[in-house]
Amino acid sequence: MAEVLRREVVYLITAIVTVIMFIEFFFVGTWNVAEELRTWATIIANISLGLGAVRLLSEHAKNIQKRRAGVWPFSIWLWIIFLITILSGLAGYVTTHDAMKNPLYNWLFRWPYTSLGQTLYAITGFYIFSAAYRAFRARNIDAALLLIAGCFVILTNAPIGGVIWGGIPVIGRWFLDYGQAPAMRCFLIVAAFGMLAYGFRALLGRERGFYGEVAGE
Amino acid sequence: MSEEELTFWEKLARIDRRVFYWILFIGLMIPFIHPIVFPIAISPSTRDLYEGIKEMVEPGDVVVMNIAFGVDAWPECMPAFAACTKLLIKEGAKIIFWGAYYDVDMTYQEVLRRCEDYFKNLKYGEDYVYLGYYPYQEAAVAQLAASIRSIFKTDNYGTPLDEIPMMKNVDKATDIKLVLSGDTGDVCDYYIRQWRIPYGTPVAEIGIAMLGSSYMPYYRSGVLFGMSVGVRGGAELEKLIGEPAEATIRMGAINISHILVVIAVILANIGYFASRRK
Repeated sequence: MAEVLRREVVYLITAIVTVIMFIEFFFVGTWNVAEELRTWATIIANISLGLGAVRLLSEHAKNIQKRRAGVWPFSIWLWIIFLITILSGLAGYVTTHDAMKNPLYNWLFRWPYTSLGQTLYAITGFYIFSAAYRAFRARNIDAALLLIAGCFVILTNAPIGGVIWGGIPVIGRWFLDYGQAPAMRCFLIVAAFGMLAYGFRALLGRERGFYGEVAGE
Repeated sequence: MSEEELTFWEKLARIDRRVFYWILFIGLMIPFIHPIVFPIAISPSTRDLYEGIKEMVEPGDVVVMNIAFGVDAWPECMPAFAACTKLLIKEGAKIIFWGAYYDVDMTYQEVLRRCEDYFKNLKYGEDYVYLGYYPYQEAAVAQLAASIRSIFKTDNYGTPLDEIPMMKNVDKATDIKLVLSGDTGDVCDYYIRQWRIPYGTPVAEIGIAMLGSSYMPYYRSGVLFGMSVGVRGGAELEKLIGEPAEATIRMGAINISHILVVIAVILANIGYFASRRK
């Protein structure tokens, strides 16, 4: 009974919030209740960040406690880096109101974090290169069309394409403007209708995925 | 079938991926050793972004620069973001920086560093302000449009917004001339839905190359007044503002990598068709 009641309260809150947000959109900036709700949503999102951090630390503490094979040394490393980062950031904020002014915090972000982030991002280029070689085969007419369009668009994005032949950027831009833009527009419109349907289902309590339930169960 | 039994054409269609990694690695070093410069044509979306800023922004107008990309996307987004910042300062705009990415502090510092010559004559709080991080979600963006003060009581350094001269009469989307959103994800969608549609605030996108196709319908329909796509967009903006920099240099690597991909695809298909005929 308590579980059912708890679920119904969640659905009721969802329905009320949905109706308020829906109406407010057409009378934008005139309804304080909607603004208040959005401020709450932002505060809850901020709290969830803290909650996520606590949860992360507790999961890794369990790994360390149970000496989980192949994992626990990394969990110790995560704890160490987490504590160093948060303490140095807080020290910077408390002393100067700017976490970045703490030399250790600044160093952690500027050198290890930035370099590793950019390296990981750049590595995808190598995978894409090898994947293009293995996947782009003209096995049928559809694949051949995709391949030709892809090559024109690739060469349009690089200035060398225009140097090889002046027509390449013209054709590539045509594919971008008249080939992919209408197709993408279709996806966006269909997705918008899907969102509307999702909204109505949530409003009626039939969409239960956000509560960890599958609809109809 | 062992490697020795394969014909030349079959081998051509089955080159080991590590060979490609080495080819790309060596190829990408060439433009850094010897720069390869080709003329860069300006795409319509970048030109509209540049001209939109020049036409719309009057001295004293307040503009939002939304940082929704992390440090990993600096190579793609930062050149265009920095070029737009320089252009806005040239036009006399007052800039509010804020961001939806947890490492936004780093990116803001990097923008200041790259536009150092421009910022040295500006005064913090009067000509630009940094409000910091807001959680990555649409409700926050919607609420920023309704009231900036309900999300940010102070700037990133703890100064109340009412004590910051340039923020005195600024609180809603209607007080903002335009929004430029630097993105790797879908944050620009939030600005389209929560700023552009309800309030009419002009929005433009500075995104990674992958987002070019996602936002093209919005640009083509006039919802976005301009769009810079990837490092190419950055190079085009650098050309438009007359200050070739990082993106212009990086176009050499773009040329090499893109032509290598096309050559690899052609080789794969020659090998594929020749081995099928056999």
